[in-house]
Amino acid sequence: MKRKLPIAELLNEWKQDPVMKERIVHWHTVKETPANLADFPKDLHPSIIKALHTRGITQLYSHQREAYDTARKNQSYTAITPTASGKSYCYHLPVLQSILEEPASRALYLFPTKALAQDQKSDLNLLIEQMDQDILSYTFDGDTAPGLRTKVRKAGQIVLTNPDMLHSGILPHHTKWVSLFENLKFIVVDELHTYKGVFGSHVAHVLRRLKRICQYYGSNPVFICTSATIANPKQLAESLTGEQHELIDKNGAPSGKKNFIFYNPPIVHPTFGVRRSAILEVRDLAKRLYVENIQTIVFAKSRVRVEMLVTYLKELTKKKIQNDSIQGYRGGYLPSERRAIEKGLRDGTIQTVVSTNALELGVDIGQLQACIMTGYPGNIASAWQQAGRAGRRQDEALIIYVAQSTALDQYIVNHPAFILGQSPEEARIHPDNLVILMDHLKCASFELPFTTTDQYGEFEIQELLAYLEDEGILVKTSDKWHWMSDRFPAHEISLRSASQENVVIIDQTIPAATKVIGEMDRYSAMTLLHEEAIYLHQGIQFQVEKLDWEEKKAFVREVDVDYFTDANLAVELKVMTEDKEKHYENQSVYYGDISILAMATIFKKIRFDSHDNIGSGPIQLPPEELHTSSSWLSFERPKGWTDSMLTEAMTGTATSIASFVPLFVHCDRRDIHVVPQVKSTHAELPTFFVYDSYPGGIGISERVFEVWPMLLEHVYQHVENCPCSQGCPACIGAQDASVGLKEEVLKLLSYLQVSTKGEQHVF
Amino acid sequence: MSFEKNLLQMKKLIKKKPVQETTLASFVMPQEPTYTEEWKSAGFNIVENQYGIVFEKKTVYSPHTKHGSFNLSDVFEAFKLWNETEEQHPIATNGEGVVFFDTETTGLKGTGTYIFLTGQLKYSNGQFELTQLVMANPSHETAFLYASELWKPDQTYITYNGKSFDWPQLQTRWVLNRSHLPKLPEPKHIDLLHGSRRVWKDDLLHFKLTHLEEEKLGFKRVGDIPGHLAPIIYLDAIKSGNPTTLLKVLHHNEWDILSLLTLFVHSSRLLLQDSYQETANTSTNIGKWFSDLKIYNKSQEHFEQITAQYNLKDAARAFFYVGFDYKRMKQTEDAYRSFEQSLAHLPDQLKIRAYEELAKMDEHHFKKFDHAQGFCDNALELIGKMTFKNNKQKTRVLESFEKRLKRLRNKESISRASAQFDRKRREK
Repeated sequence: MKRKLPIAELLNEWKQDPVMKERIVHWHTVKETPANLADFPKDLHPSIIKALHTRGITQLYSHQREAYDTARKNQSYTAITPTASGKSYCYHLPVLQSILEEPASRALYLFPTKALAQDQKSDLNLLIEQMDQDILSYTFDGDTAPGLRTKVRKAGQIVLTNPDMLHSGILPHHTKWVSLFENLKFIVVDELHTYKGVFGSHVAHVLRRLKRICQYYGSNPVFICTSATIANPKQLAESLTGEQHELIDKNGAPSGKKNFIFYNPPIVHPTFGVRRSAILEVRDLAKRLYVENIQTIVFAKSRVRVEMLVTYLKELTKKKIQNDSIQGYRGGYLPSERRAIEKGLRDGTIQTVVSTNALELGVDIGQLQACIMTGYPGNIASAWQQAGRAGRRQDEALIIYVAQSTALDQYIVNHPAFILGQSPEEARIHPDNLVILMDHLKCASFELPFTTTDQYGEFEIQELLAYLEDEGILVKTSDKWHWMSDRFPAHEISLRSASQENVVIIDQTIPAATKVIGEMDRYSAMTLLHEEAIYLHQGIQFQVEKLDWEEKKAFVREVDVDYFTDANLAVELKVMTEDKEKHYENQSVYYGDISILAMATIFKKIRFDSHDNIGSGPIQLPPEELHTSSSWLSFERPKGWTDSMLTEAMTGTATSIASFVPLFVHCDRRDIHVVPQVKSTHAELPTFFVYDSYPGGIGISERVFEVWPMLLEHVYQHVENCPCSQGCPACIGAQDASVGLKEEVLKLLSYLQVSTKGEQHVF
Repeated sequence: MSFEKNLLQMKKLIKKKPVQETTLASFVMPQEPTYTEEWKSAGFNIVENQYGIVFEKKTVYSPHTKHGSFNLSDVFEAFKLWNETEEQHPIATNGEGVVFFDTETTGLKGTGTYIFLTGQLKYSNGQFELTQLVMANPSHETAFLYASELWKPDQTYITYNGKSFDWPQLQTRWVLNRSHLPKLPEPKHIDLLHGSRRVWKDDLLHFKLTHLEEEKLGFKRVGDIPGHLAPIIYLDAIKSGNPTTLLKVLHHNEWDILSLLTLFVHSSRLLLQDSYQETANTSTNIGKWFSDLKIYNKSQEHFEQITAQYNLKDAARAFFYVGFDYKRMKQTEDAYRSFEQSLAHLPDQLKIRAYEELAKMDEHHFKKFDHAQGFCDNALELIGKMTFKNNKQKTRVLESFEKRLKRLRNKESISRASAQFDRKRREK
């Protein structure tokens, strides 16, 4: 048995250590909370009670009971369920009860990923077994054997699937699912909070299509949603499902003591305010926890970072044969690899896992002891989700937030109340996005013809249908719009991203045994899978030998080098329409549509550890085009500024703006881009563009349009208060020349200040 | 102009209002298409029923009509052959209520794919009659499906790939119109694609009906339209009202159905007529098919005919398969001889199995452990040279032979020891 240092002891040690004391900017403890229990409902079926007793459950948590009672009134509801609060009983109990009362009843469970559905199926089937009842529950996804499909369609009482499968595998074939749609009593939407942004907007439409089909077959199901803590669960559930919801947010589950540590890497270059790389700090902290036998999850923001950390940490086990106690976990791994890792975490054979936000979701890996966050994950809800991975019921939990040198990260490490004190952000969807709406209107038309008086969800669609007729997809007869094309629209529409096709990654290290080791979306592939790029997979380095852009294939070969690659993306931007405008003294702000041409230009080779630039090369790929919505600020050129002065000051200012936009409009950092132009192509004035990262826009820049003056005020204060002298990554971005631009940026920002009196501050 | 740009200009079209509860309306008679007269003069009959109108084209053939190498009346002979057989076979029919059936659709799958044309060839009153129905437009679908009479009981449909395509598609359309239509039965269904795949395995590279026509049925189409254009042609016909090109789709469908009949005749003869043969390969395939259906008297008949008629090379697979028939009937010597004779010209995959069977018989029946070891050695050598679909499979096969070999060596040494013991005892 290995020595095991309790977390409390480790913390005491750190409290005494002068080095750690300096780096740990803030300590915070959350006390344990006791459980709030309720009796089993009176009508609960004896077999369910029996199963619960088998599991040692004699009472429900108060929120589980409330969920049951609400479902029994046929009222749709949303339950807020933090990690380890027994969320699945919030839907299992009423669903199983309804099936025991009426075996013809059907329920459809939706999980954001296939993996989660398969996880839940094993758990549900165990429960049914313990109930000693014949209830048929199946997953239905791409892995379902063809021989089993008919059975699932006809006899499955509980069908567990994901929105993508519902979109392309179930709804377009609804005639094969008559018994499901005629008897559908419950639709369960698990992990509601993941349905935001583009994906959420797509899913909102998939659910509108689902409801349309239910109505056609005469059923009117109740929606049950479960969600992690977000600011607006009820609103999100209602806009996602188009139903009125009741909110169940009083959690009755107990939780253990949690220790939060806010850790700032030491400054290594005082003049430029350069801090030691957060990655390296995380590596050292993770090593310490590994040595102390504390089961740890490390979150890193990108796939590359995950792989870098895994490479670093695996040094610890290099000399041990067949030791897999350190693993990476991220999108792009094959399902079988992921399953093995999840199992290893549950049974303890894996001690440290490095993950992207893929493990924020309810993938069942049990509860770990410690969590390290490499920087702010982009939003508060994610931060809480990641922190929630640590904390066993009787055990103390340790959560370490390691700040990177970006503006937002530095802001947070110095203002911990931002995470600890604030409610998490809203999750928003924007089903009005015309591109998304038209996509699903096609699918809906394919599924069932619209009549000439129909509307679709809350949308009036007759004119849009006429457009589709002009496109030659629909035919209008005396009473209906009929799909009349040999295309299968659901296959052309992906719910997950703008670009439909993924790039497949093929390992050709052994020419006779080439194999697919992963896939990546097209946009990321431009900067991560270009020729000569170093692609990391499970800590193994591969060099991309050939990227076949037409066929969407990247051929890689295993290599062993001491560097990684980092690519630049150049962006060209044109204004197409101006929908809204506001004018201030020396500036104007606009909202409208723009077109963007993005092109990968060059890549750099960067040495591990020292992070030196050791070479570069061009990337030859065709540009990708994006039409989206944007808000932009144009201002009169301040007197006496040259082009080059303005360029540099605007670049620094843009960096700072980009960091703070997510704070003001509560979105993810990746949802927006900020681009400065000294002489914009359309107004010839200096302009900052903020645009949504998705075709057609998802409503973020529209909100930015409203808050420009406050945004600029906040940016100004942050840069001014930053302790650096020349400008640093924490305020205006890293400064390469010996002359920093902080002064110029401040001058520009002060020039752009507008009186915000009378306007309400967002926080 | 790009799609997105077009869309952006339509942004103002997005309007919203509260969701309205709609109730399902009862059936409303759709309006007659504007082009009815035009299609009438192109040769269609107008059929009216309580759900709307349907366009119909009837074609009548005398029994002596030739299609490729066959007369249509040859089908009676095929029915007779099946009536004289007692065995249950997937393509067997007594000929009652037989319909040769094919459809044309607007796509490949899903609820947005319509069937717009059905063709049914039947025999009645001394002649063959082809009825082709065309959906007047999608609003007249109920009328079209009702007029097809596919809901009538006691029919046997003979199709080409109908089991996995036409009929499921028909079921989809039926569900969507189920409140107005009589229930669609589960009729007897003979799918000749499956049969053709069995009969001409390793003979034909692909199984497109037109390919079969040229290779096996003595028929070559001239001026046919490619099937994948049918959806666009139909769409154009109901949009423009001009049926000229659509008539070509009807012709395409007619050829498909006539070939279905001749394919049925040809397949039935190959299966049931002793004197009617193509090649050793097809006959072996047919024997194998009977054998898989557990109709062993027929399978043995086919295999024995081939082993008697053809040289060792052409008859290799027949020897191999008939070996299993003999084994089943406990005619071990015959089985052994058959497997032995098959060896010289068998494909590698089957050869491994032949070695296995021979080794088994030598081990368990004849107790010739050294012979059995020889077969195992041969098999192992062969496996080493072969490429498998995956390594797992290869390992599995290798391991099973190695295990057998080990056991054989064991048995041999025991038997040698006991023989020695016996000899010594005798000497004493």
